[in-house]
Amino acid sequence: MNRPPATLAGVLARVPGVAWILGLLVIGFSFFSRDFLSGPNIHNIGLQSVILLILALPQTMIIMTEGVDIAAGAVLTLASVVLAWVLVHGGSLPLALAASLATGMMFGLANGMLVALLKMPPFVVTLGTLGVAQGLALIVTDGQSIVVSSDALQAIYNGEIAGLPLPLAIGVAVYAVSHGLLYHTRFGTYVFALGGNPEALKLAGIRADAYLIAVYVLGGLMAGLAALILTARMSSGHPTSAIGMEFDAIAAVVVGGTSFERGKGWLFGTLLGVVAVGVLRNGLNLLTIPSSAQVACIGLLVIVAMLVDGLKGRR
Amino acid sequence: MGEATVPLLELRGISKNFPGVKALDDVSFAVYPGEVHMLIGENGAGKSSLMKVLCGAYTADAGQFFSNGEPVAIRSPADARKFGIAVIFQELSLVPYLNIAQNIFLGREFRARISTRIDLPGFIDHARMHREARKILDLLGLELSTRTLVHELGVAQQQMVEIAKALSQHARILVMDEPTAALSERETERLFAMIRQLQAEGVAIIYISHRMAEVFAMGDRVTVLRDGRKVGSRLPGEATPDELVRMMVGRSVDMTYARRFGNCDGEVILDVKDLHSENGVHGVSLNVRRGEIVGLSGLVGAGRTEVARAIFGADKVTAGEIRLFGQPHQGSPDQAVKAGIALIPENRKAEGLALIRTVCDNLVLPGMRKVFPSRIYKAARARKIARDLIERLRISTPSPFRAVQVLSGGNQQKVVIGKWLSSESRFFIVDEPTRGIDVGAKAEIFALIDQLVQQGAGVLMISSELSEIVHVCDRAYVMRDGRIAGHLAREELSEENILKLGMHHE
Repeated sequence: MNRPPATLAGVLARVPGVAWILGLLVIGFSFFSRDFLSGPNIHNIGLQSVILLILALPQTMIIMTEGVDIAAGAVLTLASVVLAWVLVHGGSLPLALAASLATGMMFGLANGMLVALLKMPPFVVTLGTLGVAQGLALIVTDGQSIVVSSDALQAIYNGEIAGLPLPLAIGVAVYAVSHGLLYHTRFGTYVFALGGNPEALKLAGIRADAYLIAVYVLGGLMAGLAALILTARMSSGHPTSAIGMEFDAIAAVVVGGTSFERGKGWLFGTLLGVVAVGVLRNGLNLLTIPSSAQVACIGLLVIVAMLVDGLKGRR
Repeated sequence: MGEATVPLLELRGISKNFPGVKALDDVSFAVYPGEVHMLIGENGAGKSSLMKVLCGAYTADAGQFFSNGEPVAIRSPADARKFGIAVIFQELSLVPYLNIAQNIFLGREFRARISTRIDLPGFIDHARMHREARKILDLLGLELSTRTLVHELGVAQQQMVEIAKALSQHARILVMDEPTAALSERETERLFAMIRQLQAEGVAIIYISHRMAEVFAMGDRVTVLRDGRKVGSRLPGEATPDELVRMMVGRSVDMTYARRFGNCDGEVILDVKDLHSENGVHGVSLNVRRGEIVGLSGLVGAGRTEVARAIFGADKVTAGEIRLFGQPHQGSPDQAVKAGIALIPENRKAEGLALIRTVCDNLVLPGMRKVFPSRIYKAARARKIARDLIERLRISTPSPFRAVQVLSGGNQQKVVIGKWLSSESRFFIVDEPTRGIDVGAKAEIFALIDQLVQQGAGVLMISSELSEIVHVCDRAYVMRDGRIAGHLAREELSEENILKLGMHHE
């Protein structure tokens, strides 16, 4: 096809905006903070980014279907609270994880069915379930933390597999599974079609509704899985622990070059976007910039990423 | 050909209603193996609806399908596919961010296998998919990589992928909706060669066309539809193009909106010379005089709306000249409005009305400058103007302060057109003014347009309804492929003449 000639400029022009931004952030922070490129800090960025990655990967697929899940952070919070509650009440870790996954899955199912079957706007649906999940989390905990002292849970956060911290290993596994799903299965192909041309899917005799529901269910399940790492990291379930994390997740997806239109999406871009958001948060922490200002910076990051891609003439 | 055998598929008494419209009315239709069955008719004759019933996208309200004398149920796209019906859609059914191979096999992906015996459920055998896609592209003479994303392709290439997709289904019945509309001559020849080969293999082909030449070159049988009904079937050898055109138009003439035609020797208001736009207008010249309604006709996709958009400044003009009231005009829509052009768009709900605002607000909006020279809004004055207009136009609304969205389609359209009566516009482009409006309201809409003309305005009217052009316009231009195919003066204006110009005879 009409590929530009392989000049240096041509090659550079094809590097996505998120890669430029990530590079600039890394260079910038390593200049301002000596600790930034230290081994422990990089390790730290990785651990902090894993939860975001697990939320952002299914969010990518949801956004590709021209939807959005703004309940992700609240569902993650509720799942974490449920997980802690089960552990505190004597349940085993597998049982607690199952409860957490079930919680996420139920919310995903509700979101998906409302969006796919009742044709309600995803933003409104997930705004509603956001409120429900947040409210339930507050009710279950009575507004307090549920502190967990479970060796099994600690082992999740501190454990290692082949030299890789266990949370990171989980992140790698989730990325691999997501990649396989999106690019090598019928499910993934239909995710592209759900956003790009749902009519084509129906004319091909495919139950488009069922696949759309499945995308949201996947999002819920992943929130349930992320709850495991979140609860382990904090040794507790707290009713506001991940409130607002959907903002970081959606930002990472958009920064990574996935579009809200026509089923355009890129999973590796989301990975870069997650790292960019993680690096930004971590760097700002090192520079002791308060969390509220960090949100503003992430907002700016989204806009800058859009501008860079816009200037490069990509649509 | 096909006379001796039993039909591969027979439709009996198919009807399909939409609110207010009978899209298909008791249509019976049969296709035989190895036959190319051409389907022709005016815009809105029911060709596309029939095709959608065939492929299971619409469920017929009445009627049955038979195959070899046995009734068959086709109620969903999956049923149609199982029966062996494949469709080449005109509105493309492709997914932009999937590649060519993925699009060709959408919904029919090859399963990945662990071994020769065991499938890997849900996973796709990409290698095989690309191999098979390559074979089909080679058949069609397409040199594209099967890994090219479809959104990177041009319209013609996308149409070829659409064709490849249908061919890959190895269907017994192949339905094509104007497959050559976007194709070059070479690609068309390739397609025709493919069709002949499929024909020899016993595939039945239903081919919707707007091109007479194709009807006679490819068709073994022609069926003409009009107003959702089947007019008749002919063998091309027994019919002439003129006869087919007569079958397409012969509608009972509805004279309720015939108007008196005056002498049109007013000054030229709009003069367009050799207009080209980036959106498919290729050298259009036309003019409109004060006090006349000029029709812009042609089949859907001929470029009528695109001409309007170019004149109005909504699409970029790449060459040519537009003179308005003697002055050269070019620029953005707001300049067009200042120059006195009003565009009354095809889609009134999206572009013509503020639906949640009141009738009064909508009526006063375009005339703001004239109505309130001091630039200060006076509610009492607005109310008076709105009341006058409502009475004059006989808009049935409970009060001037009801939201426009509660009105009927006809009354909404009266608001859309009527609001310009209070403005200073003297040139109007009206795009499909009667779409979705019942017959009674149509006459009133035309009376309203006539009123604009009586006030000394000029009107360029786009309409797909040939009878409207014939009965309302002083004269008309007929478009084809983004060009003016011909001009018809008042005495030459007939549906037949419009169709003759609008269809392809090459």
